[in-house]
Amino acid sequence: MADRRRINGPVGATTPPIFDKPAGPAAAKTRDAIRKIFLKTGITPSASGSAYLELENPNPQRPGNTSLKLSCTVHGPRSLPRSAPFSPHIILTTHVKYAPFATRQRRGYLRDSSERDLGVHLETALRGAIIADRWPKSGVDIIVTVVEGDQDRDSPRAKKDDEGWDMMNVLSGCITVASAAIADAGIDCVDTVAGGVAALVCKDDKTAPTIVMDPVVAEHGSILAACCVAYLPTRDEITNMWFKGRLPGADMMVYDKLMEKSLVACRCANRVIVQELNETVKKGQGIS
Amino acid sequence: MAQTIAIPGQLLGPSSKYVAGPGTHIHEANLYSSVLGTVTIAQPEKKIAPGPAKRLTKIAGLPSSSAQLPTISVSLTGISEKREVLPEVGNVVLCRVTRIQPRQATVAILVVGDTVLEAEWQGVIRPPGRARHREGQGQDLRELPARRHRASAGGESNRFLSEPISLGDQASYYLATASNDLGVIMATSEAGNVMYPVSWKEYRDPETGLNENRKVAKPF
Amino acid sequence: MSSTSQHLLLSPAELAYLHGSLSLITPGPIRPDGRSPTQFRPLTAETGILPGTNGSARICFADGTEAVVGVKAEVEKTPVPPYEFVASTEGRKDHSGTPKKSGRKSKKTATEDEISMDVDDEADEEAAGANEKVRGSPDWVELSVEIPGLRDDDSGTVFLTSMLTEALLADGEFVKKLWINRRFHWKLYLDIILISPPLSYPLPLLSLTTHLALLATRLPRLKSEADEDPMFDDDWAAATFLYPLQDTSSGKASNKSSKQSSAAAAAAPASRPPITLLVMAVGDNIIFDPSKEELAVADSAVAVSVAEGPSSEPEPESESIPATTTKRNLHLLSVRTIDPPSRLTPPGVPNSVNAAAWGTMTAATPTTTTAATAPSSDGGAAKHPDARVTETEDVVGVWKAPRGGAKFGMLGAMVAKVLREAASPRRFWMGLRVWI
Repeated sequence: MADRRRINGPVGATTPPIFDKPAGPAAAKTRDAIRKIFLKTGITPSASGSAYLELENPNPQRPGNTSLKLSCTVHGPRSLPRSAPFSPHIILTTHVKYAPFATRQRRGYLRDSSERDLGVHLETALRGAIIADRWPKSGVDIIVTVVEGDQDRDSPRAKKDDEGWDMMNVLSGCITVASAAIADAGIDCVDTVAGGVAALVCKDDKTAPTIVMDPVVAEHGSILAACCVAYLPTRDEITNMWFKGRLPGADMMVYDKLMEKSLVACRCANRVIVQELNETVKKGQGIS
Repeated sequence: MAQTIAIPGQLLGPSSKYVAGPGTHIHEANLYSSVLGTVTIAQPEKKIAPGPAKRLTKIAGLPSSSAQLPTISVSLTGISEKREVLPEVGNVVLCRVTRIQPRQATVAILVVGDTVLEAEWQGVIRPPGRARHREGQGQDLRELPARRHRASAGGESNRFLSEPISLGDQASYYLATASNDLGVIMATSEAGNVMYPVSWKEYRDPETGLNENRKVAKPF
Repeated sequence: MSSTSQHLLLSPAELAYLHGSLSLITPGPIRPDGRSPTQFRPLTAETGILPGTNGSARICFADGTEAVVGVKAEVEKTPVPPYEFVASTEGRKDHSGTPKKSGRKSKKTATEDEISMDVDDEADEEAAGANEKVRGSPDWVELSVEIPGLRDDDSGTVFLTSMLTEALLADGEFVKKLWINRRFHWKLYLDIILISPPLSYPLPLLSLTTHLALLATRLPRLKSEADEDPMFDDDWAAATFLYPLQDTSSGKASNKSSKQSSAAAAAAPASRPPITLLVMAVGDNIIFDPSKEELAVADSAVAVSVAEGPSSEPEPESESIPATTTKRNLHLLSVRTIDPPSRLTPPGVPNSVNAAAWGTMTAATPTTTTAATAPSSDGGAAKHPDARVTETEDVVGVWKAPRGGAKFGMLGAMVAKVLREAASPRRFWMGLRVWI
């Protein structure tokens, strides 16, 4: 839908002119870990709680290579609007919005369907984590802004068939950053929920597919299936799961392995949250 | 005192050893933290004699075992001022009158306990004439502050101390001033002057010398 | 708020009872409508109800929810991606003579790395074209869901739309069916309309109706060859099914004859459109196709999309991983957890706490003289431990909205059970097959 109230930039993907021979896909590092995460809470003073997350850029030398940058603000708990019906629980509203410049294709100011879809996933992931009956008659808005959307700009492969695998990475980042922001806002949670992705990738048609954690879409030849999980580590429970792709046959083995790998990714992300939250409290103690 | 830091989901102890306080939750007979903050363990107070409180609706005796256990709670008190709390039954809240109607006063709750709220919560105080004879609600308000001069804007700057008696309906908490220490603590007259209390039910305007009816709080 | 969380007027006691009966282990779950755990709700269905569409279906569930799906196809020019622009325009010039092109294609040995954009990328393109001749793009399918009473951009509707779209697109097989030639493709518009108000979570209904409509979808027979501008056979009777029937003789028969006789012939299509099933877990029980009441006490709910691929054609991916070849050749396409509306149900109050709360409330009133200045965090809390946050252990028979998520094993078991059920043909696909 065109947004007529603002003067919009050019529609469609912009391709920077490349005169050199492109470097080809980045060499997929055989790492059995997720990318490094930078997480910081309390970055937005006006919000009740906030957090910022950034993923390590695996190939900073390559031109146009980007990572994931997310900012999350939590507003509330605050009273519901007059028109809202009585609710014995906190009403959770999640917004995921890409910045217009976050992806190859420019995003409008209105949320499109993929952003709304991410919002629903995020809501499901968080709804399981928060203790909703602690805050009756109140609402909380969780707004995640995707500053950089983890889309490699000069990967010809990704341009050809953009299957939206990067959305999984964005979602797992959204879950992790929102979890930290909610804890910062002082909303009751059963656990710190963290997101993690695992994917079944293959370099080309000849080699056997392998399962990797936190896949960098540009690094891999093709992604067959991917799975994004929101996980509560101390309770050992999954609040949201999103799997899509094509698994060979009705084989549950591959599926289970994929899930296990993404749980490992979740645990890694959770360690970052725990560390950052501990630091948040320590910092607060130092001031007072 | 070095306080233990707790993050959501951290194990605090078995639920047989502690009573769950604010900021904690029970899962599979264990107590876990549910907010970010520091752990406080409050030893149970010695039982005060119940006094002359009427216990009309008392059905069963309190489980005395749980009353003896220390209460464990997690809070961000002293670390971050931005801790939002909800008005609860039993708190004392400070409110500002926003709207006066013949049968009720609508107020905005500003402070709960000693926490200044960021969000604005709405409350309702009803006069005794319209009493629903439910527990605690009969004596909502001895004298509605601005009953006789509803039209004046003066009613809107009154400050109240009151106590929530119910979670209320979709819009408002139900509040009561049915206690000596609850009532109007700051009043403005019809003329727009700040008044001072002269009795348990009257405020006086220092300039005009006129008395106006208020349910005066006696906080000390 | 998602459309799962519509208000349901069940009291905490009713919810607790329902949860109890659904989580029974020894006789299995007892469902309110007497179904077995894996049984679906009865439905009536018909196809080909809209003459203006390429395929259509209507399904009516016994609870009164009803959906109509219309599938329309249009021929569309395949856009050329910016990187391939030079290559393809040159290629197109060459392709004006058809035989020449086929000769060129066969010459190439199609082993070049597709990514290298070099001087010979024209050759690369040719090779790629010859190699994976049929390509598809997710843009070729446009799916819209309309639910009465909800806005188009309501997050619940968007979630349903993306879930159904994802099932169609997840494996990339479906869009390959829409390929005409290198320059043209079919663009398929699926319009899914829920006619009745959304009495229950409409996902299974919409998915089933879409499934049927796609099975009944026919596209005009292509008369032109290779990369020419497409020409189609005017005869609708000669139109081919999007999902061709397996037995060629009976397939021809059904093409010519009317719908009734084709139903009688009942030839099974070689492959089937994806279908999305809603499964929920209560306690240790897994329950298929939950009604609204059952969903209100669900511990977790999962939407699982499966499709049945052609068993004859082995996929290049599946060769590398040793897969046990099942006879039905089912594919898991997508799994999504659904936010169960049970998390928004009002909790019950255990008796002990109830009595205690009254006790503390009356006792607390006189002591507030001191509490007025006491810090609310510890002093106030100690005085009113049960004021609002009645944190208690789970009491049998007292409803408490579920917290947290589902165990890893439970989610896996739910998906596995869907695959197992869908693999048993008698239960599942047979009932639907009759309606083609």
